Amino acid sequence: MTTQYSILFKQEHAHDDAIWTAAWGRSERDGLETIVTGSLDDMVKVWKWSDEKLELQWTLEGHQLGIVSVDVSPNGAIAASSSLDAHIRLWDLEFGKQIKSMDAGPVDAWTVAFSPDSKYIATGSHLGKVNIFGVESGKKEYSLDTRGKFILSIAYSPDGKYLASGAIDGIINIFDIATGKLLHTLEGHAMPIRSLTFSPDSQLLVTASDDGYIKIYDVQHAKLAGTLSGHASWVLNVAFSPDDTHFVSSSSDKSVKVWDASSRACVNTFFDHQDQVWSVKYNGTGSKIVSVGDDRAIHIYDCPM
Amino acid sequence: MLASYLPNSTSRNLTGIPNFRMASFGWKRKVGERVCKAAVQQFEAAAEKPEEDGVDEVDWLHAIKRRREVLLEDCAAKGNRLKEEGTVLAQEGRHWEAIKRWDEAIQLTPDNPLLYEMKSQVLTILQEVFPAVQAAEMAVKLRPLWWEGWQTLGRAQLSLGEVDLAVRSFQVAVHLCPSERPLWSEDLAWARRLQQQRRTAQDQTQREEEAQQDVLNPPELQQDYDFESDEVVVACAAVAERQRRYEELKRTVVVVDAEGNSREVPVEEEGSGDTPSSSQDQLVKARGL
Repeated sequence: MTTQYSILFKQEHAHDDAIWTAAWGRSERDGLETIVTGSLDDMVKVWKWSDEKLELQWTLEGHQLGIVSVDVSPNGAIAASSSLDAHIRLWDLEFGKQIKSMDAGPVDAWTVAFSPDSKYIATGSHLGKVNIFGVESGKKEYSLDTRGKFILSIAYSPDGKYLASGAIDGIINIFDIATGKLLHTLEGHAMPIRSLTFSPDSQLLVTASDDGYIKIYDVQHAKLAGTLSGHASWVLNVAFSPDDTHFVSSSSDKSVKVWDASSRACVNTFFDHQDQVWSVKYNGTGSKIVSVGDDRAIHIYDCPM
Repeated sequence: MLASYLPNSTSRNLTGIPNFRMASFGWKRKVGERVCKAAVQQFEAAAEKPEEDGVDEVDWLHAIKRRREVLLEDCAAKGNRLKEEGTVLAQEGRHWEAIKRWDEAIQLTPDNPLLYEMKSQVLTILQEVFPAVQAAEMAVKLRPLWWEGWQTLGRAQLSLGEVDLAVRSFQVAVHLCPSERPLWSEDLAWARRLQQQRRTAQDQTQREEEAQQDVLNPPELQQDYDFESDEVVVACAAVAERQRRYEELKRTVVVVDAEGNSREVPVEEEGSGDTPSSSQDQLVKARGL
């Protein structure tokens, strides 16, 4: 176990163009760790993380335009990707094959997020609706209406109770999944919310915005619990550590910052990317962080536990 | 109209320098040639006098510093004024004059991405496609998170015929600001349609070339040299079939209809008179080999 933050591995030129999104998955079947990346070069790539290095496992072709978002199902069997070509595709990670392709309708596929039971995929749409697709059926099952603007970011709470969405005008909506009711509407930021994430105990919601701030909300009371500054430009992505102690953010100021969840102080800044860092994720235990960006590189960092 | 700007700008420049000791400097340089020598000498003598008087009291270090600050402020303000002037000119359709204003402004404020972006738009209107792309590239380099810069770059690239690059630029713009509907429905959709049309056209050309290659070097004749009569018959039939396919391909062209859908259609007219001669040509060529 390490005692300090350090960069562990760099995969330069992982794609032929900017990498916009990444996800870290762990297969329930064999415990193998995979990283899925999506790029402006229309490709989804699946990498195997073992022996402290990345190995390209699959290059998944099919999307006609850049990949906006990828996610790996919590059971680690399936990856979902959404693209500017308005399609959501499901991929079998074991065999590297496409399972389904769903036409979400123009401009209706942005961030994709698997539900904790791996049965559904949520994605935002331009009319402020959150569309829920069935993984089995490959069809739109139902939708939740925020009556707001374009939804950029989506997150399920790990306990499966809530779904949060962040809109381009800075409004946050929290839904109760069981009843489909809109619980809270928070005027979080004045600018687009590119990413949001729940803490593992589903008590906190962390949001990242183009205004350069990160905000922390108490989910139950819908109260603002803190505002963090530190990034010099848009905050593009946030992810919570599974051990509940830290969260990580990435920004167009080319940095990746790790924050202490209780003291709300920045505990480490990585300045290893050459360009905007679009996506950042923890692995299943919180011991590693992956980040990807416009410089076409995948970085893996080591975290003290 | 153009002339009315110039005296205006020079007079502002002169009044923009408040330090009277320095003012003699600018004055000489600007007007020196037009004033007779005697007057200049007289004036210089008059101007130098007070300087000689107060030479001990001058704090040169601060004088120079102050002047620098004034100059910096002046650049920003003047750059902005030139930008505004250019905008007005561009709106009136006086594109070259607008570009001249913006070029001057770029000299003063080279870090302002707006100037390059507007210049690129006007250059695209003027069909100066390559400089338009260069200007827009500068704009997105200076402000990479500005979706309008990427949109302008994409449009300039499209004018240059770089469809693939344009599709990429529009995608970056959409990724930065997905709620901007025209970016999807107009820019990106249009660039993609062009991309598909070009691909269809390229496929057609490639198939035609392959078919021609097959006619010229029939694989049946390359295999062995101990021709037996039935083999020759089969080979000839295959060659004839190839020739027919090639001519069929030659008679189709890719047509793009009003909705932007591309399809292949046969060319009807003067086909009957043309075909035998071309087929004869091919035979002659094949024999010549």
